[in-house]
Amino acid sequence: MRLRSLFLPLAAVALACGVPAAAGNKLVVAGQRIAVAKSAMTVLPTSEWNRLGARPGRAAETWTLDGDALNDLTFYGGIESGRPLFREVSRKTKPLPTVSTTMLVTDIPALLENSYRIALGTASMTIGTIEPATFAGAKGVHFTYSFVRQDDTLRRRGEGRGAMIGGRLYLITYEAPALYYYDRSAAAARQVAESAQL
Amino acid sequence: MIVRRLMAAMLAATAVAGAGSAAEKVPPLPPYVAAYEPTNVDERGAWMIADEDERRLRDSADVMRDPALNAFVRGVLCRTVGEDRCKGVRLYIVHVPAFNATMRPNGMMTIWSGALLRLRSEAELGAVLGHEFGHFELRHGLADFRNRRSGTDLMAWASVLVANSAAFQVDMVGGFYAFDRAQEKAADMIGVRYLAASHYPSHAAADIWDRMMGEADATAIGRHRKPDQRYAAGFFASHPTNLARATYLRSAAAELPDADGSAGVDGYRAAIAPWLPMLLDDQIRLNDFGGSEYLLGQLAVGGWATPLLFARAELYRMRGHPRDLVSAAGFYQEAIARGDAGAEAYRGLGLALMRSQQVEPAKTALREYLRRKPDANDASIIATLVAS
Amino acid sequence: MRFVRTMLAVMAATMLAVVPVQAQEKTGVKPGFTLQPGTARIVLLRPSIRVGAQSTAGMFEPNADWTQQARENIGRALAKAQGQLGNTVVDYVEPVGADAAALAEYQALFDAVAQSVIEFQFFPGNRLPTKKRKDQFAWSLGADVARLPGLSGADYALFVTTEDHFGSTGRKVLQVFAALARVPVTAGVHKGFAGLVDLHTGELVWLNADLQMGGDVREADGADKRVRQLLEGFPGRPAAATVVASAGR
Repeated sequence: MRLRSLFLPLAAVALACGVPAAAGNKLVVAGQRIAVAKSAMTVLPTSEWNRLGARPGRAAETWTLDGDALNDLTFYGGIESGRPLFREVSRKTKPLPTVSTTMLVTDIPALLENSYRIALGTASMTIGTIEPATFAGAKGVHFTYSFVRQDDTLRRRGEGRGAMIGGRLYLITYEAPALYYYDRSAAAARQVAESAQL
Repeated sequence: MIVRRLMAAMLAATAVAGAGSAAEKVPPLPPYVAAYEPTNVDERGAWMIADEDERRLRDSADVMRDPALNAFVRGVLCRTVGEDRCKGVRLYIVHVPAFNATMRPNGMMTIWSGALLRLRSEAELGAVLGHEFGHFELRHGLADFRNRRSGTDLMAWASVLVANSAAFQVDMVGGFYAFDRAQEKAADMIGVRYLAASHYPSHAAADIWDRMMGEADATAIGRHRKPDQRYAAGFFASHPTNLARATYLRSAAAELPDADGSAGVDGYRAAIAPWLPMLLDDQIRLNDFGGSEYLLGQLAVGGWATPLLFARAELYRMRGHPRDLVSAAGFYQEAIARGDAGAEAYRGLGLALMRSQQVEPAKTALREYLRRKPDANDASIIATLVAS
Repeated sequence: MRFVRTMLAVMAATMLAVVPVQAQEKTGVKPGFTLQPGTARIVLLRPSIRVGAQSTAGMFEPNADWTQQARENIGRALAKAQGQLGNTVVDYVEPVGADAAALAEYQALFDAVAQSVIEFQFFPGNRLPTKKRKDQFAWSLGADVARLPGLSGADYALFVTTEDHFGSTGRKVLQVFAALARVPVTAGVHKGFAGLVDLHTGELVWLNADLQMGGDVREADGADKRVRQLLEGFPGRPAAATVVASAGR
């Protein structure tokens, strides 16, 4: 009941606009370097993926194998200073933290964690390990995380690779239910993330 | 559902301000009926959903199951409403960093971890739990559902019939809130009755609202919004609606015979202490600088304890403006100077200094972090910062 | 990352149940999958059943009496149908404690998979390109599902979920006005999925899923019809071939 009342303003939007436009999902073919997230970042997948028509934010896009509830590979392509990672549900009441040009690599997992905590309304979002990693040729970070959405029983695991390059945030995350799905496509997702170039 | 309704009260001062007259009569406690069963279709339906929600909640990872904490909170509930009433309630402490508590018609009560962070004494906790129990005793869940149903009916019609239904929308939301305010008041009045019947001082109920309103305003200001115009006499000025609520609660408390019992400030602090670092960490991750700063200031009224200093330092470092980083480094150093700070204080200090381009002092602090916590989850990446 | 979109979708479903007008598929079978009558032992998990009314705005109003009726009716209809599925179908014994949580997580996973099948395979306009290939139906819960207690010795697990929101009179009148205003509004949500999971591999070998099912589950006849629709094309049933041909409605 509580959630529903929070959604009321949003409901009005949905009522007014009707349903979001049909998606237009596109095949991502194997073996071809491709630009992602409307940015200069490119990746070279060695297996097929689907790119969802619906984007989580202006400079972001999501690939999946079975639907984004089951496996979700999201690219954030050079989020500039002052911008949140993804679209805000309500800028007024639930503003998301924003990217800053002076962020350290260790601030990247914290930005994702705090953004998820706010957007998903769950304090279950926690970061696992944080390690140094080369990302798109830059000094970056690799980290793991896990969370359960509010009112859900499905535990999800995730991992991210990212770096601050030229004052912008480049980040690739992969997440899936801990049961079966995470392990199933983790290798394919890692391969894509590790192929990132700018 | 305290906070939403509090906000509701903020949105429209008029009704509550009117209701705040000191001549308010406190209704007697209704006779308690144990093992109440739902009687009609709507009520049975609401119970069924509540039962299903409870089955899910029982297995949820969000429930804080620590036996000592649960025994403490339940003990306060039982001392407030009495052993008989207490037996009809299953109480869940839910890990959600917001000030809220809920009551479902089947006897499932929740209190959110954000409330535990904001309350200060057993009496205040009892006031909140007693308020929620009041909804249960008055069977508010059901009326709530009926009211909301007719509300959304109107909205669906509006969306078809009215090209731009935004204005209408606002009126409808006001309608919900007006309804909520009436229920809140009823629950407030019965809640204060429980407190009076308990050994806790009954004025505790009135004490909570000043801080809530101050926090809401601080949140708005921190987000470069004006606090609600009707209260904007100044940052810490008193709030009419809040005063109204505090006033009727205070006058009700004065009217009732009250025990001389302790409010239980020390007991409350001791019970929450093991959880304080986690509760603070949840709070500062909400991207609510103004509200968090206000809350920390309130918690530090008796002095800045180490967990409060550390949380404040983290809050400033996360916002990360150049001046924030200087402040953050100062707070970390204060925390460290107190002698009982964790290794994370050195980590934060090092990272704040690093972002401020003070590379060598930064590395010294980070080295100390690694020395104190060699198996930290971020040890390898911190080591690269030290080596760079 | 599907916060906003999910919420819009939820809102659309809850508030106004605007359903794409396109034709939608309802049944998927793993290519080449067959089940001979009398060869398998199937465990029927406790069906998830919810029934209520849908007010004008589309809000779900739970109705315990209806749900109880539906549980009894569907239980009876399933029991009747069980004997005609061509294989041994036994009821699952509910676990308790930690095992109950494990079962709940698998049921959540099944629901997530079934929703994904509907969203990304059955709706042609939104189908994932990799799921467009001819005769493809590759979905799974993972082989570890067989480790749930009480499933040893079984070959398949049958999951059944139904949720019904009956349209109120107000909603039906709204539907007429909305049609004049060219806003698509449906009266009622009648969704159901039934899925057969191979416990040796974890694969979903058969799924029947629809957001607009027939049959009033509050009545015995309706529940029979619903169960018939849910089990349409159920593999391994005598004369299954003729039913598969008439899949859909």
